[in-house]
Amino acid sequence: MRLVKAILLRLLFGALSLLFISFVTFVAGEFAPGDPATILGGEKASLATIQQIRHNLGLDMPWPSRYVRFLDHALHGDFGVSYYSTHEPVRDILARTIPLTLKMATEAIILASAIGILFGAIAAIYQRKFADKSILTLSTLGVTTPNFVLVPILVYIFCLRMDRLPITWTNPLVAPEIFYFILPVTILSARPAALITRLTRASMIDTLDQEFIRTAVAKGVPRGRLLIRHALRNAILPVITTIGTSFGFLLTGSFVLERAFLMPGLGSTVIEAIQQIDMPVVQAGVLVTGAMFIFLNLLVDILLPILDPRIRESQV
Amino acid sequence: MSRVFGMLKGKDPLYIFGVIVLVVLLLGAIIGPTLRTAAVHPSGQPSFTSIYDPVGTPHLDPGGKYILGTDEQGRDVLARLAAGARVSIMVGLIVEAIALSVGILVGVLGVFAPKWISMILMRFTDGMFAFPDILLAVLIIGTIKPRKEWGLLGSLFPVIVALSITAWPSIARLVKGQIATLKDREFVVGAKASGASTFYLVTRHILPQLIGLLLAVSMIDIAGTILAESTLSFLGIGVQPPEPSWGSMINSARQDMSSHPVALVWPCLTLSLTIFALNFVGDGLRSHFDPKSTK
Repeated sequence: MRLVKAILLRLLFGALSLLFISFVTFVAGEFAPGDPATILGGEKASLATIQQIRHNLGLDMPWPSRYVRFLDHALHGDFGVSYYSTHEPVRDILARTIPLTLKMATEAIILASAIGILFGAIAAIYQRKFADKSILTLSTLGVTTPNFVLVPILVYIFCLRMDRLPITWTNPLVAPEIFYFILPVTILSARPAALITRLTRASMIDTLDQEFIRTAVAKGVPRGRLLIRHALRNAILPVITTIGTSFGFLLTGSFVLERAFLMPGLGSTVIEAIQQIDMPVVQAGVLVTGAMFIFLNLLVDILLPILDPRIRESQV
Repeated sequence: MSRVFGMLKGKDPLYIFGVIVLVVLLLGAIIGPTLRTAAVHPSGQPSFTSIYDPVGTPHLDPGGKYILGTDEQGRDVLARLAAGARVSIMVGLIVEAIALSVGILVGVLGVFAPKWISMILMRFTDGMFAFPDILLAVLIIGTIKPRKEWGLLGSLFPVIVALSITAWPSIARLVKGQIATLKDREFVVGAKASGASTFYLVTRHILPQLIGLLLAVSMIDIAGTILAESTLSFLGIGVQPPEPSWGSMINSARQDMSSHPVALVWPCLTLSLTIFALNFVGDGLRSHFDPKSTK
């Protein structure tokens, strides 16, 4: 019963966060330079046409009703049309660009979790030994080195010197798609991999120090089984939260990599939209990414007490 | 001077390294642009146009008059690095000052203000965490246009506003947490019992306790701000050309990396060193002021 109440509270908080994000996005649209009706109508539009567009967009309503309208449309996946080029519906732009960004972020988080948990566990097992120290140093570098510094370094090595990987996305692709993903995904995973490594290490060291491990050792559990089944299984639970939040940040982290590798994802589309003051695209991109971020955090918060009885017990 | 070096004695070598990098960087940002522009300008006088305008042939190799060579437009790389440092440090310090003021104010109000005010403030702070940082910054930059008439500060205006708004919530949360525990400590309760006003308590007893911690956190926050500014500039929506920024320098050097890879080294190296140094100094300060925190 307490668990259900906690989950309901979390859901309520998630809904409020979404409302908050949508409101901020709406306000940003209000403050954006330029009048949507004039931009959409084009330079030669007559005053009457502009008035008509203004009315169709609901711009003649007071702002609270405009916000309700904005919310209503957004819930139905309608974000209006892009101000530029072909007035393409923003919904189509999203449908075209989101899969690539999601794919990149998913691959990166899987890679980061695998690397992070493996190296974190190794570092904890060989605590204060050479392996631990080198892993810690590497993870410090991984956390602090900016992505866009890694980009030129790796591109120089793998694309220009060794000529093994494509430098940027091309249309159409001339090699299997996976080759285009290798560098961006690797670079994107660097920071979360480093964070997960540190956290796994800390959590594993804590776990290895606990009494049930000592009991297991005394009862003669084989070392490999002890480390994986007894220690790592317990140590990994707090790591799950970080994996969830990292995934959210990867969605925005991919902005840089999509730009650097000219990949046609959501990130590069939003950046372009900002440079052209194409507000509907910016709003939709921000809203969708923010919603995914909130949803993931929600999922982790709900999943964790189900996976870990200790948290379930301590829940309010 | 010997006292300054005495302070460094027995400290973590990484901390000392960080302090040295920061001092060099600060000097470079203050006098670098003047020195360099005087060295490369035909008239021998410092002239800021040589940060923006070509002074030599494009893509000169490092060495000789231009020490680090020239960029794709024939501008002195070292002068632009120094001017970029000026931009980064300015953005970092201004944003941190705003974030600290707002964060401390909200944190203090979160504990001492009437329930309904603190409630609204803290929920608002929580709401800010619902946004991934870069995303919010991107949204804000989309809404604010640079103020060309305000000079350098005006062209940095959108970036500064965006990064300030994303930076204050974590400080507010930290300050609130610290104050919530500090306010029940004996010395605060004692001062309160002897009739001190809340304002006096906060400014004379509580906040001075937090200076060390906030200084350490600021270093790491400034590193984050400088990184965010470079990221935005790299993406082309941060500091606008011709104003130099390390992020946009990396981006433009990247375009010619197949023929002139060396040009990439300098901005990447400067930026990474700066971020490392700020983090090392922040960690060093934290372990100095907060003995309980272990690595």
